[in-house]
Amino acid sequence: MTEDKILWVARYVEGELSETAHADFEKHLLSDMELQEYLKEYREVHQGLRIHLAVDEGRKALEKTLSGFNKSHFAETGPKVMTFRSYLKWVSGVAAVLIIGLLVWAPWRGNLYRQFAVADQMWVVERGAAEETSLDKAAALYNEKKYTEAEPILSALYAKDPQNAMLAYYYGSSLLEIGTLGKGREVLRTLFNGESVYKYNSAYVIALSYLKEKDKENCRKWLKLIPEGTSHSVKAKQLLDKL
Amino acid sequence: MTKKVHEDQRYVIALLNNDVALVNEIYKKCAAKVKSFVLFNNGSVDDAADIFQEALIDIYNQAKYKDLQLSCPFEPFLLLVCKRKWLNELKKKSIIPVTKTEDDLLHIGEDTFEQADLLAQQKEQADLFLKAFEKLGERCREIIRWSMQGDAQEKVADALGVTYGYLRKKKSECMASLMKLIKKNHD
Repeated sequence: MTEDKILWVARYVEGELSETAHADFEKHLLSDMELQEYLKEYREVHQGLRIHLAVDEGRKALEKTLSGFNKSHFAETGPKVMTFRSYLKWVSGVAAVLIIGLLVWAPWRGNLYRQFAVADQMWVVERGAAEETSLDKAAALYNEKKYTEAEPILSALYAKDPQNAMLAYYYGSSLLEIGTLGKGREVLRTLFNGESVYKYNSAYVIALSYLKEKDKENCRKWLKLIPEGTSHSVKAKQLLDKL
Repeated sequence: MTKKVHEDQRYVIALLNNDVALVNEIYKKCAAKVKSFVLFNNGSVDDAADIFQEALIDIYNQAKYKDLQLSCPFEPFLLLVCKRKWLNELKKKSIIPVTKTEDDLLHIGEDTFEQADLLAQQKEQADLFLKAFEKLGERCREIIRWSMQGDAQEKVADALGVTYGYLRKKKSECMASLMKLIKKNHD
């Protein structure tokens, strides 16, 4: 009976029933829940299949439009994520130029800490019209030196991904900037004990955090850990000479 | 559906009508965001473009064949659909994303999630129907395929070399077989 009802529904929808049979079906339909259900399912199957089987000129035209826009909006030349390595090359290159420039120019008259503090810029991606993630937000705040605002975001990101050296470095640095020295040094010490590319950057900012407290002994101790040829080694040596 | 249709339904209609200016607006609003999301999650620019196009075609299909009535804003809806599509791709490649992916979507309304769920569900259903269809006999497949192409049924009957009456009768029988097959698969 059930199967007959399915066929009955099909014949009704396809217009195969005579006028009286059609009216009879509709009369049954009012009270027969099963029939109502089959009719609904039939229409769903019919429409669902049309998605795949219909020769749809509108869809073809739209696909053509979309392919065109894909070329212009998803061009390879758009914003792209830099690899960690290229990020480093870039940052260390810029850092080297900055340091050399500063050493040659050396216009400062401020205290030692100010002279030697690093103004790291936290770059996450090359900027395009990218969606702002919390990492982007933290980077923007960090770069504007709004460390108090950057710290909680970095803290949350770091908690989720403590192995991420970049996060650890900027989180630790933010902590030092806002004066949470114990915790900041702990994060950076862990980083220093590891083998990440931030190893000696960490040593340098820890050293500076001691300098800020006028603890020259610890400052020296950390500066001496920075071998020649690493990113802050020139600065570290200069500072050691002055201490 | 009793829910109010959102004014962004105009974007859905733009897809239906291939309204190039409005479709461009969709790209301007959303393409960079999808690209950024896919790139951040182990994908390439091409992956992002494919996902974006697929999502828009899915929306078109749902609008044309399933009467999609948008009850939420278009942009978060499209972004959610793209994100889920890409996460499914990653699952297929067995790359499990590290971060929780819908964290940044917490500000999105319930409506958007419902709308995206419905889209995914209807697409999945249509794929199941197609699978069942492929299990039908050759003659039934031919009749259903022809009659769904969109031409007038009289023309289809001509093309198949049968009478219009026979075509209707056969189509009803074939569709009924298909329904039974789907029901059997479903149980």
